[in-house]
Formats: sequence, structure tokens, C-alpha cells
Amino acid sequence: MTASSSSGKPTIGLDEWESKMAEVPIAKSDLNRLIMNYLVIEGYKDAAEKFSEESGLTHSVDLGSIEERMQIRFAVQSGDIRGAIERVNDLNPDLLDTDPRLYFRLQQQQLIELIRQGRAEEALAFAQDELAPHGEEHPELLRELEKTMALLAFDALEGSPLADLLDFSHRQKTANELNAALLAAHSQPREPKLPALLQLLAWTQEKLDEKANYPRINNIVSAVLEPPAAAATGDGASTASQRP
Amino acid sequence: MASLQLHAEYVQQLQSSNPVDVYAALRTIKNAIIGSSTKKALYFRLHIIPHVSSLLAMDDTDVQTRIQATTIVGSLAHKGEDAAKQLLDGGVMESLVNQIMPGTDAMLMEVSERALNALLSYTDTKMSVEEYAFSLVSCLLGIIAEAKDSTQLFEMRAHARIELAVLILGKLCVTESRQFAVANAGTIDLLVPLLTWGYPRLQIATLQTLSALSYENMEICRALATVPHDGQLFLAIVLKLARHQDPEIRLHACVCVSNLSRMRVSGSATRDIQNIAVPALVKLLRCPGVSSLQVVQALGYLCHEDAEIQIAAKNAGVITDVIRILADIESQEGIDFVDHEHNILVAKAGFLTLGTIVSAGEECRAKAVESQALTYLARAMGHRDDGIKAAACLCTQYIVRSVPICRTHVPESGILKPLLKLAQHETLDVQVSATAALINLLPDFSPLRTEALKENIVDTLVGLLDSSSAMLCRNVLWCIRNLLVNIDDDTRLSIIDKVGIGRLCAISRPDADPVIREQAVGVLQNITVENDQGTRAIFECLGAEKVVELLLGLLDPQTETPTQVHSLYLLNNIAVRSQECCEHIVKSKPLLHAIAARVTSPVSEVAIGALWCINSIATHKAPSSRSGGRGDSGSSSDEGEPRYLAQLEELGLQATLEGMLRDSGLCLSVRDRVKTCLDYFAPLAI
Repeated sequence: MTASSSSGKPTIGLDEWESKMAEVPIAKSDLNRLIMNYLVIEGYKDAAEKFSEESGLTHSVDLGSIEERMQIRFAVQSGDIRGAIERVNDLNPDLLDTDPRLYFRLQQQQLIELIRQGRAEEALAFAQDELAPHGEEHPELLRELEKTMALLAFDALEGSPLADLLDFSHRQKTANELNAALLAAHSQPREPKLPALLQLLAWTQEKLDEKANYPRINNIVSAVLEPPAAAATGDGASTASQRP
Repeated sequence: MASLQLHAEYVQQLQSSNPVDVYAALRTIKNAIIGSSTKKALYFRLHIIPHVSSLLAMDDTDVQTRIQATTIVGSLAHKGEDAAKQLLDGGVMESLVNQIMPGTDAMLMEVSERALNALLSYTDTKMSVEEYAFSLVSCLLGIIAEAKDSTQLFEMRAHARIELAVLILGKLCVTESRQFAVANAGTIDLLVPLLTWGYPRLQIATLQTLSALSYENMEICRALATVPHDGQLFLAIVLKLARHQDPEIRLHACVCVSNLSRMRVSGSATRDIQNIAVPALVKLLRCPGVSSLQVVQALGYLCHEDAEIQIAAKNAGVITDVIRILADIESQEGIDFVDHEHNILVAKAGFLTLGTIVSAGEECRAKAVESQALTYLARAMGHRDDGIKAAACLCTQYIVRSVPICRTHVPESGILKPLLKLAQHETLDVQVSATAALINLLPDFSPLRTEALKENIVDTLVGLLDSSSAMLCRNVLWCIRNLLVNIDDDTRLSIIDKVGIGRLCAISRPDADPVIREQAVGVLQNITVENDQGTRAIFECLGAEKVVELLLGLLDPQTETPTQVHSLYLLNNIAVRSQECCEHIVKSKPLLHAIAARVTSPVSEVAIGALWCINSIATHKAPSSRSGGRGDSGSSSDEGEPRYLAQLEELGLQATLEGMLRDSGLCLSVRDRVKTCLDYFAPLAI
């Protein structure tokens, strides 16, 4: 039963909320597709295959291509940029020829790996031979190149203001970008839908907070609906219900 | 240097008798050149083409080696048009076509399609593969049909093959005959269902190809508009895609719809196009990640020669959005880390699209001026890129079509001096655009006329009359023609003197380019319009006999209608201003017959011009008996009967005119003029 709190916002109890939620028709097959979408895009091939079998989903995705994508992703994450590029060129030789920004990102990561390994001379030669000509053709990329080259000026890279380039998260970022491009080239969404839905959940709850007290999901890992705070303390719903 | 040596060795290794070495070298080269323009250039210098070409041509080359060699061809083709041409000259085409034949290894087929797709990205290369077009279309349609029936469409390779086949088909559509060849092979029925398959890249490729297939082709547009699929017409499917969540699909759907809209085959969906495609493109203008160049071009294309869509675009905010883009680009000038080449392309497209949108409607022009378009145009005329200069001039030309804008905003805009400078630019395109814009700034209502004369515009224009470009000469003559309207006598005489009657008469002859001739006669018409200065100058320069000869030539039935209209008014001006000159016209029976023949012209403008001539000839009065029979200069103030009535009557004009009046379908403006002419015949009729 909905009641009003002292703040003027209505309070919705857990039972009422769950009963309303149950009224919303959500097809099991939609949920399955959502999960499949996450597994495929994030590259969980085995899980995707098993899930496909168990859920009876007829998949419209080439599961074999997941493995190739994951090998490429793994190569980038482990710093083997040259290996990743070769795999990409085998998988889709047009990709790096038609996406100069992506090619630059990979070359930039390669430069970072050389600097990380302390191969300064090699890094300098690589920047001059490979990255600088590319930057000349695409001047909008030069700023990034300059930033990366600045790494060579620091003896202690960890403490440098550009340390973020050496962080694992930068490799991860490059790997994600490449993965997204490979997915798009295969008419697949660049990102899974689940994270976007969770963001939508957070935004919706934030908006709803302004208008009502209701059972919230405060922990997206456990996804447990927690009763509204006002109702739990006896404030709001109970007080209002005593009015004649 | 060491690196260069190494690359040269890889090329050398391609001649090895050991297939493993050849394969290894190909792989290394492939991974070196993909993505790298400089490496591609290096391998061109190392003469890689004959090596890969011969590897592909040999029957005993194994599939894996072929895949690597073909990938190299595809990657090299991405270098640019010259590179692609070199590859075609190197003879790779035949091998690539053979490698997409049925039964080819799937991977080899895919990389061959990729290579073909890259090679055919340029106009020249698309045109040059005529001898392979038939086989290509047949193979490509086979690939699509086969993949369509496959249950493994989701398999990535199959998916890529069908998408590439669709794209290549579109690239072949560079001429009308190719469009028909591709369409007649059954392409439309095969492609339209692909739009509903739900694979974004395939949908985009299909939209691109259907756009290329239907571009400016009325027959194919008509066929396409009525193709049904799953109970929906093609147009309904594409309009649905114009609202798709994927911005790239929306863009290409709008381009496809534009083709049909421009050919006026959209029928009852015309309103839908305005309501769906225009707002969709406007949203795309503000959508990050979508090529602003393509969106701006698509908008210009959709709005071309369609006043209603131009208004819809204006109402949707296109004018302000395009000017905002132009402002952003201008603010990035001189800044590092900016792709200035791309900005130039977008700015050029922006000015052209803006020009298109303001080309017809006054309210669109007013909106552009209100959004400071003239400021950006004036600055763009000084841009380092000639394409931007020409585009800015073209946009200016359309904006200054508005008389109110010419009177109010233009004088303060500072566009005159840049335009005068560009009229003398070293590039013909710029000159043509600049002079076209000047045309609208020189009529008598334009405040810039006086300033232009002070800037010696006449000398500038006369200097351009020697150009071999018909369009430039046409624009220059049109400028002069506008300058002569309501100008003071001294300036008129000065213009006549500088341009030269002899030159004008020479370029008014039948062998002159029609567009030049029309304007030259227009200039002669305006020279003679105010008083008899111009007429006297023409007779003094040519002599009466040559003038009559010139007029006869201009009234030849083969002469284009606009030139005939100018000629009739020139003749009218000569006839009305001086009885002496009129006498020469009347004495020429062929000329009188030529005028009389045009009185009944089905083109009302021609008929009215001829009737004015009759009217002017009839204006001259014979000396009355009270005046002592004294001949004079032909002033119509003398009392008396029309001097040339007999000659006009001899032509049977009175009966003709009365017959015209009995025609209830006669245009009202012609009827009025007929009545006026008949007044002169009234005394004889009694």
C-alpha cells in the first residue's frame, strides 16, 4: 500500500513494489538474449556456447570469431602489439587501412611498450619511422604522439605525470577500442547491453529518489531490493496510515 | 637505410623458388604496409606490383600465397587513386575476377573482394574496368544469392563476402549504362530484402549500392520506388531506416531517399520525406561520430531544386547549423593538431549546401543573412583553398538574388572587393563563380553598382571577354548587361566604347556559343534602350546593311528562344528611337516577314516582343500636309497617319491580329498587346 511520508513523498512498500514489478511482462527469451549478448561481446566463448545450448537460443553470431577476437584482445593486454596487429590483419585486412585512428592507437601502444621496456633508442626510431609519418597525414593525432614521446624525457616513469600511459588500464583501453572496432566490422554492437542497462537503473533510481521512497537496489552485485528507509524506521508509511 | 635494405630484400625474396620463403616475404610485406601510407609508398618504389601480379597470374600459386598477395594488392589500393591505377595497369584485375568465381576458397574470395572494393574506390578506376564489368556483376550477384540462401549467414566470413559483393556492385554504377546493366541483372530484387536483415554493415552497404544504382536515374528510381518486400514498398522500408537507432544507417537511408525525391517519384511519400529525412539529417549534423561532411553533402543533395524541402530544412535549423559548422572550422584555422584538409572539404560542402538551400526562397536567404552568412562568405573568399573560394562565390550568388538583401545587408558585407579580385583569379572555376555572383550585384537597384564602377569593374570585365571559357564570357556579358540598365549617358557611352560594338556584334553571330550570344544580344538590347546613343553607335560601327543582316541572323528560326526575345527587343529599340534607323528595318522585307512570323509564336514572350516591334514601327507618323511635307527625325509628335502602315498591312498583319483576338485561349498579356497594335490599323479597317 502506498503511503505518504512526512517529507511529502509517497512510500512504496516492498510487497507492493514486488507485486507491481511482477506485473511487468518480461520474456525469459529477452533476458537470455541479454546474457548471450554480454557473453559474446565480452568474449566468453565457452560460456556462450554452453549458455546457447542450455537456453536453447539459436545464436546469430559466429562463435568461432569470438576466439579470434579474444586472442587479439589477450595479445594487446599482454603487450604483444605486433602479434595483435598481425592477427587483426589476418582477420580483417581492411580494418587498419580504413581506420587510421585505430592504427595509430595500436602503434602508440607499441611505442609505450618499447618505452616501458627501456628500449629508448628503438622507441625513438619507431616513433620517427612509423608514427611521425602517420601523424603528418592525420594531424589531429599528433597531440597524442607528442604526449607519448614525452615519456622519453622522464627517468623515473612511474612518478611522471604521464604514468597513466604505462598503466595496465591503458592497454585495456586500447584492447577495448580494438575489440569494439572488430565487433562493429562484424555488424555487432560495440558494447554489451547489460552495463548500459545497469547505468539506466542507477539513473532511474536517482530520478525516482526525488519523488518517492521505494525499495532500492543498492548493491548491483547482490541485486537485492532493500525496503525503503522511511518505512523501516516506522516513519512515513506507518504514521500516515494511522490518519483517519 | 638498413630498413630500406631489408624491405628490398623482402621484395627480392618474392622471386625465390622456395614457396615457403615467398609466403613468408608476402606476410611480412602485408603486415608492414597495412595502415602505413609511407610503407606502401616504399613498396611501390621497390616495384612490388609486377611481383604480386605475376604470383596471382600463375596457375600453380597455392591458395595461401594467393591470399597474402591479394591482401597486399588490396592494401596498396588504399593508398590512393594513382596507386590503384598502377595496380590495374599491372594487370591484377583478371586474377581478382577469377578469384571471386564460384568454387573459390572462401578466404581467398573474401580478400579478393576486399581488393576489388579498394581498387574501385576511385572514379577513374571504376570507369576503367569496363571489360570486366559483366563478369564482375555476374560473380557478385552469385555471391549474394548463394550467401542469402546459406544458413550460415551469421558466420563472419560469409557475412563479409556478401557485404563486399554489395559494395562492389554499387561502385560499378558510375554511368547510366552501367546502372542499367547492374539493375537488369536482377540486382534490385536481390538487394532490397537485405535491408531488413538486421546486419547494420550489410544494411549500410545495401543502401549505398541502391543509392549509386538510382542516382539521377529516373527509370531505376521509378522501379525501385514500387518494389515491394514483405508487404512494404521500398520507400517505406527506407524511411523506416531513416529513423533507425544506428546513425550511419539513418544517413545512408536519407541519401537513398534523396535520390527518389529528386526524381519526383516519391508520390504520396513526399510529405514523409520532408517530415522524416530532413529532421533525421539535421539530428545527424549534431551527432558525434558521424561524418559531418557526408551529412552536409546529403542535405545539399536532398534540398537541390526543391523549394519545399529547402523551407523544411530552414525550419529544422539547417541554415544555422551549417553556419555554426563553418564558424567552428574558421575558428580552428592556424591551430595545430587539426585535420585542416578535412575541414576544407567540410567547409566547401557547407557553402555549397547553404547555397542550395537559399537558391529558391526569400525566407531562406533572409535566415542565412540573419545568421551572419555574408560575414563568413566574405572571409571565405580570401581562403587559401580555391574550392572554398568558388563555393563561397556560388553561395553569394544565390543569396544576392534577393533584391531586399542586396539593398540592405550586402553593401555593409564587404563582399564586393573580394569578388572583383576573384574575378581575375588564376583559376577558371573561381572566376566563373565570382563573375556569376557579380551579376546580381550590378543591376540599378544595387547600392554596390556605384562602388563597383569606382573600382573599374568595366575594365576588369572587358579584360575577361577574351577568355576561351564560354561560361566566363557569358557571366561577364551578363554583368555588363545589368550595368547598362538605367545608367547615366556618360557611363553608358564609356561602356559601349570599352566593350566595343564590333566585338558585341561579332559574338552575336549564329556561329557564336549560344550562351554567349544570348548575353551579347542582351547587352545590345540594353545599350539601345534608354535613348538613341546606342542605336547611333551600332549604325555608325556596322553600317545599315550589316545591322539588318545581323538582325536577320538573330531572327533565324534556329536561334534559341531567349536570344530571339532579346533580338526582338533590340529591334524594337532601334525602331522606336530613330525613324531613320526604322526606315532601314522597314525597307528589309525579309526582316519584316521575320517579325510578322513571330507575332503568332506559341511562346508568349516571343509574340509580345514581335508585337512591340510592330507597335514601334507603327509609331512613326507620316508628315501631315500641314507640316509642309518636311521630313524629320521621325518623332512621333508629328500629327499624321502611321508612316509604315502600308508595309505592315502588306504583311497581312491586320487579319492575323484580328484572328488572334478571336482566339479565346490567347494569353492575356499577348491579347493586350494585340489590341494596342490593332489601334494603328483602325483607320485602314474603316
